[in-house]
Amino acid sequence: MNLLTLQFLSEIVLLSVVFLLIMKKNVSAVYTYALQSLVVVIILLNSFFETKDLWMLLVILVMLIVKVIVAPKFFISLIKKYALSFSVSTYLNTPITLIVIAVLIFIAHSQKFVPLTSIVSDHQMLLSLALSSMFLSLFLIVNRKGALSQIIGILSFENSIVMFAVFAELEQSASLQLGIIFNIFIWIMIASIFISMLYKHFGTLNVSSMKKLKD
Amino acid sequence: MLEIITSPISFFILLSLFFVGGIGSLFFLKNDKYANGWGSFFAIAGSLWGLIFSITAILTKSSLLFDLKTSVFSLFTLSFHIDLLSSFFVFVVSLIVLFCSIYGVGYIKHYYKKYNIGALGFFYNIFIASVILVVTSSNALFFLIFWEIMAVTSYFLIVYEKNDQDNVKAGFLYLVMTYIGTAFIILAFLLLFKYIGSFDFLVIKENIALVPAFIKNIIFVSAFIGFGLKAGIIPLHIWLPAAHPAAPSYVSAILSGVMIKTGIYMMVRLFLDILSPAPYWWGLVILVVGSISSLLGVLYALTEHDIKRLLAYHSIENIGIILLGLGSALTFYSLNLPALALLGLGAALFHTLNHAIFKALLFLSAGSVISQVHTRNMEEYGGLIKYMPQTAFFFLIGSIAISALPPFNGFFSEWLTYQALFQGINQMQFVTQWIFILAAGSLVFTGGLALACFVKAFAATFLARPRSEEVKHAKESPFSMRLGMGALALLTLLFGVFSGYVISLINTVSQSLSIFKNSASAVNISSNQSMTVSDGFSSISGMFIFLLLVVATFLVIFVFKKVINKTQKECKTNTWDCGTDLTPRAEITATGFSRSIILIFKGLLKPTIQNNIEYYDDQNRYLPKSRTITLSISNIYNTYFYQPIHIVINKLSVKAKTIQNGNIDLYITYIFVALMLALLVIL
Repeated sequence: MNLLTLQFLSEIVLLSVVFLLIMKKNVSAVYTYALQSLVVVIILLNSFFETKDLWMLLVILVMLIVKVIVAPKFFISLIKKYALSFSVSTYLNTPITLIVIAVLIFIAHSQKFVPLTSIVSDHQMLLSLALSSMFLSLFLIVNRKGALSQIIGILSFENSIVMFAVFAELEQSASLQLGIIFNIFIWIMIASIFISMLYKHFGTLNVSSMKKLKD
Repeated sequence: MLEIITSPISFFILLSLFFVGGIGSLFFLKNDKYANGWGSFFAIAGSLWGLIFSITAILTKSSLLFDLKTSVFSLFTLSFHIDLLSSFFVFVVSLIVLFCSIYGVGYIKHYYKKYNIGALGFFYNIFIASVILVVTSSNALFFLIFWEIMAVTSYFLIVYEKNDQDNVKAGFLYLVMTYIGTAFIILAFLLLFKYIGSFDFLVIKENIALVPAFIKNIIFVSAFIGFGLKAGIIPLHIWLPAAHPAAPSYVSAILSGVMIKTGIYMMVRLFLDILSPAPYWWGLVILVVGSISSLLGVLYALTEHDIKRLLAYHSIENIGIILLGLGSALTFYSLNLPALALLGLGAALFHTLNHAIFKALLFLSAGSVISQVHTRNMEEYGGLIKYMPQTAFFFLIGSIAISALPPFNGFFSEWLTYQALFQGINQMQFVTQWIFILAAGSLVFTGGLALACFVKAFAATFLARPRSEEVKHAKESPFSMRLGMGALALLTLLFGVFSGYVISLINTVSQSLSIFKNSASAVNISSNQSMTVSDGFSSISGMFIFLLLVVATFLVIFVFKKVINKTQKECKTNTWDCGTDLTPRAEITATGFSRSIILIFKGLLKPTIQNNIEYYDDQNRYLPKSRTITLSISNIYNTYFYQPIHIVINKLSVKAKTIQNGNIDLYITYIFVALMLALLVIL
């Protein structure tokens, strides 16, 4: 896969995060996340074709199952169970959100972050895009009031890290990657259980209604 | 054979005895008798082994250095360096623990079926082991771990009588204060690590030149606050008069006699050994703090009518006296006067040992009284000498020793402290000379006031008539308790009479510090065990004083019996009582006794006096029914030091609470902002 294709895929990931930030429906968010994960899987597949490592293929397959199929399925069933068709509101309105998105992408592409994005000099643009995705994912977690959106934000953040690691050629051993994916799988299950419990207790997944938790 | 006794294996046997004692006690949680037997037996065995180990190490001048390497990190190497200074402190710990544990066998019986004896045995044994580990550890990280174990186990011992809410409060105060102290100690060690890159005391000592002078001063201040807090220096002492009395009496004896000395040990270790050469002003600061602590400690003791709080305040006083020796040693050493520095250090170490002995004796005697009368209030004692004559005798010996009267041990260590201060006055220039003069003056006052305080304590407790019904039912303590007290009473005499020999051994310990290699002490011990300071400046002999007192006593008895009484007829009759019945109300109380002294120092003590008069007829106030005078001392440390700090921290906490508003998104924002800032700073 040439650099241009990889850049295109990275841009899809970035756009998916932007979409996650401005969309309103939970179902759309889940599908966007599935699409984002699929793109990351394709990027990893490129890595497999270069290394021909069968373990890597196993990692990609597990990732495909967990992130593209199982996790979205979990979330869709949750949405159906609790009728969460619309996500709760954001802290910032759409125009300001778009401004913040622009600022964060600008920061990620700024000279200040060159030491980080030039780890592999050929991949500077790709790494800047991955870094932008990471910042936007963090912003997604912060800006959304809905617990489900926040969970998707965390998973999107994880996808961005994977993408950054691949472009920075910081891939770890297959066993470690499998372990991480397994962790994510367990985490998704636990998060789903917590969501159910929170919904039962508070009757909403709006985290701003959970202030009493600190007492 | 001697090599085996001072080997690492022998040291681990010593520790394992306490661990077996501690863990084993937990197996007898349901059987008080067995738990007491098991815990006490191993504490006695461990302390006996500790005595053999330390005495052999000091006599053979053997130093033990070994480590247990962990395979993962070199930083976490558990290393021990048991030089003569450590052995000396192991000796002090073992000596006091031995007799306190013997005493404890009888004392613990009071707790049967009331409290958990197995838990007491567990915490007691682990506490002793941790104290020994503190004074032998040679790695700052492990030192801190043992220091914390010591703090936590002592906390559980302090709150052992948990049904009394005052004890629980005292334990909480102790825990808070000890953690503040630990924070300062950690700061000192981290600063050393920053410049030297090691937590090993020996490595730090070898590379101390790498630490800039300014940082060294910060380390000194931090360590002095941290270890001073544990030692109970004023104004960091507030936990001590609350916590020490709360524990079971034989534990109080160890807390006051031994645990606070770990602070002194680390001051000697750091300031004279690891951080040397020390700047001139360090010693002067210690001298000033020592003077204040000794004088105020005894003044507060005078105001007390709680017998254990009174003794706890005397611990603060005696820590002050020890600091006078240490401060003068540090000052002399920084002025390149090693012989005089050895004199000061010898005085400090000797008083450390002596205070441990007589303070343990006093706490044990007080414990015997409390176990019979069931109160710590001296105003409810009186006349106990008739019911507990042996306890009274032991308390009297302890009182004489702590009042620094010959021929008991306290006199000789205070005499040495005086000599160190006199040498300072003799050798120093203007400002420093005045600090030494004021320190000597403070010691004079302290000695006099301590005597007054123990006249009060002994008289109010044992003399005159019983002031409560409980006293009339008091009985002499069981044999094991009397044995523990008797042995300590004998030691106060022996360490006084043979003070020359003890000082020669302490000189050996002091000279083992690398800064005193090849230096002779200013104290010379002659063949007849008399001590001479600075080639004839002054001299004293414990043995001579003892013999003189024995001869004088026999002479007085002889003169009275055979000369004066020979011509006079003995007549037994009632005391003249002005025609009224003599009742306890006619006696002078402990508060009344100290009132005049308190009023002399009212500028310092800020007493409050409350008069309550009850009349037969409220309308016609000519005939008072009763008068009550309540004399109390305002807590100036709380009012002027801790309260303002508390208010500031409270306000800051309220402000800080706004950061924690319960919104998860805000918390994630903090993480996000922190991450961005970290990246911007690093990149």
